[in-house]
Amino acid sequence: MRSATKIFTYKILTRTFVFDAATKFYKNVVTLIKRSKKKSLRGSDKMDTVKIYANIIKENMDSPEKVNKLINLGLTTAYYYVSFFKDRRIPKSLHYLNKYCIKSIKDSLANPQNSAWVNLFAPSEFLIAMDIKPLFIEAYSSFMSGFFIEDYLIDTAESRGMSNTLCSYHKTFIGASELNILKKPKFMMTTSMICDANIPTFKYLSKKHGVPLYIIDIPYKYSKNAVMYVKKQLLEVAEKLGEIFNRKLDIDKLREVVKTENKTRALMREYLNYAGEKRFIPTMTFEMYMLFASHVFIGSKEVLHFYEMLVEDIKRAPERSGKNIFFIHLLPIFEKNFKDYFNFSDKFHIAGSDLNYDFLDEIDENDPFKGIAEKLILNSFNGEINRRVARIKELIEKIKPDGIIQFCHLGCKQSMGGTFIIKNLASELGIPFLYLDGDCVDKRNNQEGQNRTRLEAFLEML
Amino acid sequence: MIGYICKYTPVEIIEAFGEEPVRLESGYKSHERAEALIHSNMCSFAKGVLENIIENNIEEVILTACCDSIKRLYDVLKDKVKFIHLLDLPRKKDPLAIDLFYNEIIEFIEAYQAFKNKNFAEENLLKILESKSFNKEKQSAESIAILGARLKDDVIEKIRNSCTAKVINFTCTGEERVFNIEAKDNLLKSYAESLLNLTPCMRMAEDRSKLINKEFKGIIYNTIKFCDFYSYEYAELKSKADLPLLKIETDYNDSNSGQILTRIDAFLESTGIKKMEKQKAKKGYFVGVDSGSTSTNVVIIDENKNIISYSIIPTGPKALESAFKAFEIALKNAGLQEKDITSIVATGYGRVSIPFADRIVTEITCHGKGAFFIDNTVRTVIDIGGQDSKVIRLDDSGNVIDFVMNDKCSAGTGRFLEVMARTLGISIEEMAKVHKEVKENITITSMCTVFAESEVISLIAQNKDQRDIIHALNKAVASKAISLVDRIGRKGKYMMTGGVAKNQGVVYAIESRLGEKLIIPFEPQIIGALGAALISLEGK
Ligand code: SF4
Ligand code: SF4
Ligand code: SF4
Repeated sequence: MRSATKIFTYKILTRTFVFDAATKFYKNVVTLIKRSKKKSLRGSDKMDTVKIYANIIKENMDSPEKVNKLINLGLTTAYYYVSFFKDRRIPKSLHYLNKYCIKSIKDSLANPQNSAWVNLFAPSEFLIAMDIKPLFIEAYSSFMSGFFIEDYLIDTAESRGMSNTLCSYHKTFIGASELNILKKPKFMMTTSMICDANIPTFKYLSKKHGVPLYIIDIPYKYSKNAVMYVKKQLLEVAEKLGEIFNRKLDIDKLREVVKTENKTRALMREYLNYAGEKRFIPTMTFEMYMLFASHVFIGSKEVLHFYEMLVEDIKRAPERSGKNIFFIHLLPIFEKNFKDYFNFSDKFHIAGSDLNYDFLDEIDENDPFKGIAEKLILNSFNGEINRRVARIKELIEKIKPDGIIQFCHLGCKQSMGGTFIIKNLASELGIPFLYLDGDCVDKRNNQEGQNRTRLEAFLEML
Repeated sequence: MIGYICKYTPVEIIEAFGEEPVRLESGYKSHERAEALIHSNMCSFAKGVLENIIENNIEEVILTACCDSIKRLYDVLKDKVKFIHLLDLPRKKDPLAIDLFYNEIIEFIEAYQAFKNKNFAEENLLKILESKSFNKEKQSAESIAILGARLKDDVIEKIRNSCTAKVINFTCTGEERVFNIEAKDNLLKSYAESLLNLTPCMRMAEDRSKLINKEFKGIIYNTIKFCDFYSYEYAELKSKADLPLLKIETDYNDSNSGQILTRIDAFLESTGIKKMEKQKAKKGYFVGVDSGSTSTNVVIIDENKNIISYSIIPTGPKALESAFKAFEIALKNAGLQEKDITSIVATGYGRVSIPFADRIVTEITCHGKGAFFIDNTVRTVIDIGGQDSKVIRLDDSGNVIDFVMNDKCSAGTGRFLEVMARTLGISIEEMAKVHKEVKENITITSMCTVFAESEVISLIAQNKDQRDIIHALNKAVASKAISLVDRIGRKGKYMMTGGVAKNQGVVYAIESRLGEKLIIPFEPQIIGALGAALISLEGK
């Protein structure tokens, strides 16, 4: 079986034009499994293809090189699948976004020497301006969960000593890096803001792989001093990037990125004007894909283009008919109940998540370092919860949802710690609120039966 | 009185106000009131502090922006106490960071002045700082370090009392409040600076590897559930492993539980810094009593280490009665009387409640001892008992050098199998038979006894073959055991002890996961007691 996989992988990978990769991949995999003599795979003909693919990856975990290729193959397949099997239910802009997300992950994985590991809140403006490809933890881990191998990666991280209560986005990423499936990048960059896991995860990975890391410490409170403190660190980051990647940051380019970012945010605000009236986001995954656009890749021409299309699309979208649900923080894209109720549903629409709108102001284009420093400190998830509550209130008044759901991702204390405060806000505004516990990455942590009853009862209530 | 929790708190400022700073503890069994205000999956220390503040009506609180739990604790407390202040705490300590922290301290002083209607006098602060001035203490050669998340004072105290080495507490509760203020012209600023220069906790950007001194006799590493900061450093230390390392994981409040103290004791024993009286080897007969949660076992050996007799009885509701009974049976089997016995060592859960024992030693040390005595090629002991399981690593001379235990939960233990046998409606003996040929390779995904039980029920409902279900259960137990083994790394040969070692199916499942045969002693349940008897003979 090993050699069959190899030949197959090789065939796919060496083709420059993988026109029919998707269909061929699935067919090949199925026959491969049928032929397989491995005990653990027996009787799995009925499993769906992704799980078969997951099993092949898991079987090969001892050869990271192969797994790396298999993951690349999965991404390639997904990319071509999206390109050639257009789902008519998906608006053009989101289709574009879907491809863009897959491509951005592929790009950074394929070229570790020109890539940096970051987290969702890191200021990637510098990377974009210097043409360095970011890979962010949260995105990679979501994809691995999409490939059904997160359990293996998480178990690996835990067996190396990671706490089992640590956020699974981080554990998945660490697991992949422990197994050397992830090739080490040239540089790592994280902010200290919002999430406790960032600093220790990056410190750990940087030490382990001997890759330089820059930690940008973001104060909790806004003040002139705080801005200066961050600005100085951003200047250091830029210098460090220059040294490591052997190219200089062109300040005009950075300004250009910030300008594009500001334009993009203007479109974001315009989009929000329609979000309350239209029925638009077809599946939870798209709201999460939007994090690529609202965070790590904002400032790029592609993201600007995406938001231009998005605004056009939402204008043309049908009026909202069923109930609109606003999400706090994350959407559980792999949770079965949520999938059943929200994906391609006529009755319940996804009205957005506050995470996509954690900063809506303009960045100072004249002094981009100071501007970005302010953006980071003023993020609505940073600082006292009142800041976040005010933003949620603003969004809710615009979007006018029928209900609010907070899916409390296990281990995410910054978010779940505020649940009851957000609940109070919802009741002040007279909007039903539900919180459920679960895991957005590690599917084993979802108590589907329990959650189903609560979710159903809540939706019935609306 | 003003409550605080973080060592970076400007405690001396509070003292200069003439107020009393009190480090807040948690330590409540129930977090009922806290959980009405904050999500139950937050770190239990933070919940415990919240409970404490409500319970004791604490009116003044000062927090630092330590972690997500404390930040949210602040948000929740904001309108609930009379005075609350959150100090932002930079993670770096360059001049701009010091400025930032200095301003934070000034802000706090202003806020507190306004609240108390009292003035702050710098002279007071100076006096206090001078009284806590720096005098470099010589590090004694023998010391053990406590690292990781905060560990309760009483546990630290217990460790201090039971070991011969100096205990250095690097956790949040370790107060090394000594100052060396030189620049008296800007006292507050140099004070801010020296606070930022305290031993960095994991939250800080600084590298902490310089804390680790090769001379340490060992490191006790504490982690707290739902606290993100610390397991990383443990993982790092573990992979280097050039110092004896013990990890304890608690939910903070249970850190002084018997389980944890047993492990700490065993660790101190294995690093050779446990306080104990030396005994001369004597002639006669020697007894080991293993008072476990499920069975009580006694072994009697003679001065030449021959096993004279043994007994195994189920532990009743009273550990002491069962111990007496098992002791009597063993005496009778050996044809001996109590006066023939030279010394008795007790081990196991109930060891502290056995008055007739001359000494008590942890079951970790005893199992290691017993296993190595039976077969000195053993390097890993897998002990799966009724309610707990552990894996012990031995070195070439039979000393315990590492171990892990499955804490507090019955997953993968004898109890787990018992519950499942009951669910399947068969006897535990039937459960123990091997069925090598499997029709369908089922996997039980839940490790938790409760969830696994409902999985089994649904498998029964699906009409799955009973043998396949048993096979799946055995695999589940094996996989739990393997995950314990993997936590200390694989190394043969392996011996399996404890009641579950009599279950062929499980043995077979573990062997196939290890790819190696297990050594099963003639009576796997008495290995702990045997070890205790040997210790009783050797006196060390
Ligand atoms: S889900 Fe929460 S804990 Fe996990 S990475 Fe995101 S912010 Fe951090
Ligand atoms: S982890 Fe650090 S910041 Fe947090 S309470 Fe402990 S010493 Fe203070
Ligand atoms: S134990 Fe950890 S999570 Fe809890 S308050 Fe302390 S640093 Fe924060």
